[in-house]
Amino acid sequence: MSAEFTRPESIEAAVEALGEAGDEGKLIAGGTALALMLRQRLIAPAVLISLDGIQRLTGVSSSADDIRIGAMTRLRQVEASPEVRRAIPALAAACGEVGNVRVRNQATLGGNLAEADYASDPPTVLLALDASVRAVSPAGERQIRLSDFFQGFYTTALGSGEILTEILIPRRPGTRRTAYAKYRSRSSEDRPCVGVAAVAAFEDGVCSELGVAVGAACETPRRIADVEALAVGQPLGESVIRDIAEGYADGIETLEDLRGSSWYRTEMIRVFVRRALEEVASVGR
Amino acid sequence: MLDAEARVRGEVAYAVDLELPDMLVAAVLRSPIPHGRIVELEASEAISLPGVVAVLTAADFDRPGGPSLLYGAIIPDQPVVAKDRVRYVGEPVAVVAAVDHAAAQAALAAIQVEYEEEPATYDPLQAMNSGAPAIHADHPDNLFVHGKLRHGDVDRGFGEADEVIEETYTSPLAQQASLEPHTAVARWQADRLTIWTGAQAPYTVRGALQRIFGVQPEDVRVIVPPLGGGFGGKGHVRIEPLVAAVARKTGGRPVKLSLSRAEEFATVTKHPVVIKIKTGFRRDGSLTARQVTLYWGGGAYADASPGLIRASVPRAVGPYRISAVQVDAFGVYTNLPPSAAYRGAMSSQTTWAYESHMDSIAARLGIDPLEFRERNMLHSGESFCTGETMHDVHFSECLRAAAAGLGWDRPKTRDSGRLCRGRGLAVMMKSTIPRSVSECRLALDADGVLTLYTSTVEMGQGAHTALAQIASEAVGVELEKVRIVGPDTAVTPYDATTSASRSTSMMGGAILDAAERLKDRLREAAAPIVEVEPTALVIAGGEIYDPASAEDRLSYAETLERSDLKSIEVAGKHSSQGGLDPETGQGVATPHWHQGAGACEVEVDIETGKVRVLRYHSASFAGRVVNPSLARLQNDGNVIFGMGPALLEEMAFDQGQPVNPNLSDYMLPSILDAPEELGSELLESEAAEFHGIGEMTLPPVAPAIANAVFDAVGVRIRDLPITSERVLRAIKEGPSG
Repeated sequence: MSAEFTRPESIEAAVEALGEAGDEGKLIAGGTALALMLRQRLIAPAVLISLDGIQRLTGVSSSADDIRIGAMTRLRQVEASPEVRRAIPALAAACGEVGNVRVRNQATLGGNLAEADYASDPPTVLLALDASVRAVSPAGERQIRLSDFFQGFYTTALGSGEILTEILIPRRPGTRRTAYAKYRSRSSEDRPCVGVAAVAAFEDGVCSELGVAVGAACETPRRIADVEALAVGQPLGESVIRDIAEGYADGIETLEDLRGSSWYRTEMIRVFVRRALEEVASVGR
Repeated sequence: MLDAEARVRGEVAYAVDLELPDMLVAAVLRSPIPHGRIVELEASEAISLPGVVAVLTAADFDRPGGPSLLYGAIIPDQPVVAKDRVRYVGEPVAVVAAVDHAAAQAALAAIQVEYEEEPATYDPLQAMNSGAPAIHADHPDNLFVHGKLRHGDVDRGFGEADEVIEETYTSPLAQQASLEPHTAVARWQADRLTIWTGAQAPYTVRGALQRIFGVQPEDVRVIVPPLGGGFGGKGHVRIEPLVAAVARKTGGRPVKLSLSRAEEFATVTKHPVVIKIKTGFRRDGSLTARQVTLYWGGGAYADASPGLIRASVPRAVGPYRISAVQVDAFGVYTNLPPSAAYRGAMSSQTTWAYESHMDSIAARLGIDPLEFRERNMLHSGESFCTGETMHDVHFSECLRAAAAGLGWDRPKTRDSGRLCRGRGLAVMMKSTIPRSVSECRLALDADGVLTLYTSTVEMGQGAHTALAQIASEAVGVELEKVRIVGPDTAVTPYDATTSASRSTSMMGGAILDAAERLKDRLREAAAPIVEVEPTALVIAGGEIYDPASAEDRLSYAETLERSDLKSIEVAGKHSSQGGLDPETGQGVATPHWHQGAGACEVEVDIETGKVRVLRYHSASFAGRVVNPSLARLQNDGNVIFGMGPALLEEMAFDQGQPVNPNLSDYMLPSILDAPEELGSELLESEAAEFHGIGEMTLPPVAPAIANAVFDAVGVRIRDLPITSERVLRAIKEGPSG
């Protein structure tokens, strides 16, 4: 029953350990989700490979092209990172709204993405930001766009021997505003009923680029390019905002769970897409 | 609190911390289906596995010299492990004891059970219908109790009314969700059983085990370590028969069973209920008749429900003057886990109905909800619908104190855009247990240490602190010199239960009785020393003296020493009287009424339906406050606790399968959900007896919030919990009356 526990100190060693364990192996990052799955006996791996000993996987770095966050960086570290707070405040906000502070001090950004729980906050913001992840396997390294990464409930594009090592968030020229509107239908520490991330660039008060991602409403966080395009080339005014909110409410087939019915989620998409856009619009003005 | 520091440091040892030499762990095989026959059960492979010491199935019961299979607080309908039939998902079918968890889990996996599934029923109203599957052969209509109250002529009362309103309220299954799961350790030595268990009623557990195993009372010793919360979920026999029965097969090795969170949800729940309430009233606001019909879901086994459902009858009406009242409370079997008391037992559900209903009437009449209640409120000296005369009741004072705390007479805060504000209030009455007994012993030794032997359970509520304070004050010994022993049925005397907020009152009464006897004994011991009659001696401030020569005082220690006594030990007892006629509900419902009220201001987001409780003020009647800070924490804690069932908590099932049996999916309030302004009042009265305060401000929470939602957005929510989605749907459907 009890799993063997290893703690490699390099990415190469972790890849090797994972390869050896095959289907019997599970990576453990912060462990906040994995420990629950183990306790509820949803999974029963023979080998647990901790990524905790790999120094290189932690930290935020930035270049002219992008901001890079190591997969083992704790959500609390992302929330508190001056670089993240300055350049992409919505990501800091979303990480700061996950669970409670005890969870955030333990859970990692890479673990959060790799788990691919639909009711989650950071993936929504990262999708709106056109982020990618870097993954390493015996075959080498590859970069996966988040729009290709999430494939369904708890399902990602990662191969069985692949380890997510880094999250890359591209920088964009011009002024960019970001917002994350998390809606909890139940307690203040609940997962989102819906979460909406909005990323907008403005030139002279005119929206030049818009990204809107809706999370927790269906299997994976969703963007709708046609609807986003409605905003481009004009000020982000009341009627455009309303049209975009309608477009998302109409365009997402919502799921039903204890946080709300499908009908309710659709209503909440309409409300929170609008609220997130109002926030980026008011900051942008 | 006496052990506050140990609690903060994590040094309090709970049952779950108990380790004994050679101890085994138990695990329970549970039914995967809601209702059906056990066609075959094959456990022979499990017992042969390495590390497995014992496997318990129904085949171990009802044999010569063996334990009895069936037990129950009132109706013996529950098997220790299922025999031919399972009646809910999670029902124990077999128990194993093994050297570790891995071996125990492997043993469970090796037990083969073949089931034949049968139709099941989950809703109490549907379960009562003809055609619903019978869950117990001897109860074809699934009805196991019918509590009644008949007072005056309700037909005439409705005829005399200017108007009649009838509404239906529901409250769902919920879970007590103690932080500490049910845990028990059992050890047999020869034919004697010792069990350490987190139970609120050690003597009830002892009685049940004694009957199951056919042994004498003194052959069962129940020891109760501090509980990490009870809330009614540990109020009766739960896992003790399982662990004691499997431990009987281990050759004397102790066995520990500690439930997982998912098993907690399959072990005990809060009663779900459908309440139909109908009231006739006149235009002046007076009430002419009330009829309440309650359909309580009991789950698959009656457990303590027959008594609780009977107790719900006088709790269903409200503290109001109504000339004609009829109550019918039905207890119904369903294919769900057994239901039991949940803090504010039965009153939480009934208050939800009658206090929401009172606001519906007030709205129809156009009378302020506080004013409307005041016009009908019962006061001391008036007669209740049970026929008993109310004494020491302060419903009106409680409600006014809560309303004043909130500022009911001040103008309402204005709405701002999508956020609408509203205010609501509610009051409740709850009976405690009539005809119950609490006993204790007090021992004073020559070092001046006073030891209280009590079977009252400390479950975080501070009962031992309050009882030590009562003993300290009554005997005149410093609090630091008071020790508490118990509960341990081999050592501490009988107490009915630590529930129904009865401990401060009942065990407190027993301590006062013992303290008087102790002081009598001290006077007798001192009399020959002082050379006066014992009756002439006065005891005050821990000293004994003759008022005629008050400067010559004897300390207790000196008195014992000069009398050549090592200690003086006395017993004390307190009992309550009363009881209701089962056919008419007439008699005395309770030795005294529990009284509480609440008033709140909420903010409703009309785009999402989300309700935020901004301010909450509660009040309860304490009679006499023993420990002001603990008492206040009870009031405040009840409000935050009560926000769970009001706004969040509901056990969800899909065809009898639990959907959210964990604390991630089942929502409890977070401390972040607590109102920013939380006020509380404890009312006292001259020379009053102690009143319990453990539940009083909880039942008003849900109706106070619902009434505030109605005030804010004009919609009446009649189903708990008041979810954001329910509120938004109601807003979109338009104002309700």
